[in-house]
Formats: sequence, C-alpha cells, structure tokens
Amino acid sequence: MPGKPSSFASLHDVELCSYAAAGEGRAFGELARRHGSAVRYLLRRMGAQAAEADDVAQDAFLTAFQRIAEFRGEGTFAAWVKRIAARQYLRRLQRERRLTELAAESAEDEEIVGGGDADHRIDLDEAMKVLSKVERLCVSLCFGAGLSHSEAAEALNLPLGTVKSHVKRGLEKLRTRLAPADGAVLEGRRGNG
Amino acid sequence: MADDFERRLERLFAEAPELPDCQAFAQGIERRLNRGWQTRRWLIGAGGVVGGLIGASQLVMSNLFERVESAEQSARALGAGLADVAPSTEMISALSGGFGIWISVGLAVLLMGFALSRVIEEI
Repeated sequence: MPGKPSSFASLHDVELCSYAAAGEGRAFGELARRHGSAVRYLLRRMGAQAAEADDVAQDAFLTAFQRIAEFRGEGTFAAWVKRIAARQYLRRLQRERRLTELAAESAEDEEIVGGGDADHRIDLDEAMKVLSKVERLCVSLCFGAGLSHSEAAEALNLPLGTVKSHVKRGLEKLRTRLAPADGAVLEGRRGNG
Repeated sequence: MADDFERRLERLFAEAPELPDCQAFAQGIERRLNRGWQTRRWLIGAGGVVGGLIGASQLVMSNLFERVESAEQSARALGAGLADVAPSTEMISALSGGFGIWISVGLAVLLMGFALSRVIEEI
C-alpha cells in the first residue's frame, strides 16, 4: 500500500476501503461522509425517526469498519453498508418487539391513500408516507437496500408470498403517487435535493 | 423483471440528497473509531503494567538471585563435567553460567527499548 495521502477526498471508494482495512480511520471517515446521508435516508424511509436512524447508521458504519475485510468490492460500498444498516434496524425492531406489531398491523392500515395526486410535486419521502409501515419496510428493503424478496422475507421473518404482496401493493401506491405521465416528478425532485 | 418505474425507484433510493450535517455525522463515526482504539491501547497498556508488576513481585518473592547463584554453581559443575566428556561444549557452559543471564538481561533491555519507542510513537 502506498503512503498515506494528505487528503482522502479524491480517492475512489475501493481505495478508501483498502486504507480503512489497514486501520486508517480518516479514510473510513471519508466513506462515512460520502455515504452517510444515503444510509440515514434509507433508514428514515424504512420508518425510523431521524435520531434513531442516525444511531443505527452510526452503528452500521462501525460494524462495516470492523468487517471491512469482508468487502470485496463486488457491489458498491454504499449498497453494502445499506444492507448492514437495514438488517441492524430490523434486529433493533425485533429486539424491541416492534417488528411483530408492524407485521400484525399491516392488514389494518390498508388504503390510507386515496386517489393519486400526481399533479402535486411530491418526493419519495412524502410518497412513502402513504404506505403502511410494513409496506415501507418491504419496499425499502427491496429497492433501497437491494435485498431480494426472499432475503427480505427472511430478514422480516415473514412468508415470501406476504412480502411479495406487500411490495406489490406498496409499488402500486407509489406508482399512483409518484408517476405522472411524463415522469417529471421523479426527475424534478432529485434536482432539488 | 424490473419495469421502468421500478428502476426509477431504485435510482431515487440510491440518489438520496446530502444531509446538511453529513460532516458532523462522519466526524462522530471517526471519534467513535478513535475512542475504540484508545480504549484498546489503554487496556493493553494496563494489562502489560499489571503483568509486569506481578512478574516483578514474583521474581523478588522467590529469591531469584540466590537461586540464580546456586543454579550458576550447578551449571559450572555440569559444564566442568561436560567439558571432560566433550571439549566442544564451551558454549553451553558459557550460556548456562553468568553469561547466559547477561544475555537475557540484554535482550530484555532491548525489548523494553522497542516497547518504549512504540509507546512514544503511539502517543
């Protein structure tokens, strides 16, 4: 490995991971600066409050640092940390027995959203609010954390068919909410972020 | 197979905007990493000191120096006996006598030097 660079900002994620694997905390700090927001957003979209999302995200990054040697660079670093964070959040829900409650209440809070209001510009976070809690979890795990349906089912301790139907219903609601005829809402909000 | 909307959704999830406190968030993680390292260093250091104290007290309590002297005499006697059998064993007798003790002390001092320079480097 070459000597320590004066600034890690110009390095690629894979190079930063190599430095972090050698115990360089500043390199890992740069990774956290780059991808921290994405991980925290994912957790918020899964239903965590902002402070809780930050706690879980911090723990996830520390776990990632401890397991950095396992990261082979096959996917992106961000995707890898997001998976760790999503699983840690689910474990926290399980520990606090909130996951069972979420699964149980899924049938009760159906159809929160009425007709689509695609005329209004709403972002993904607003749109996610119309999903039931378990739908948010399922959609976030599959589209945000990159888990397959079966991985999500295993992580949530739910039958595969149940997860698939939650994802399907969640997508339908989001499609109604987010997708105007020309897709302008999706593209427009991203520019404003 | 993912349709266009699903791909857009994946992209939206991936392209989360940067939060205003992302710098503070990263610094918090760095701080926690450093704290972990420092705790580990202190624990190792404290373990070393405790181990050293126990070792030193054991040496003092066990009348080491008297034993070394008697061992030295025994070693000399053994060395003399061995010299009769095999003249090429001067090295063994040298090491088992007072010379061996001095080599051990020298190595210990060297080790302490390495340990001290490492500690200074860490600080």
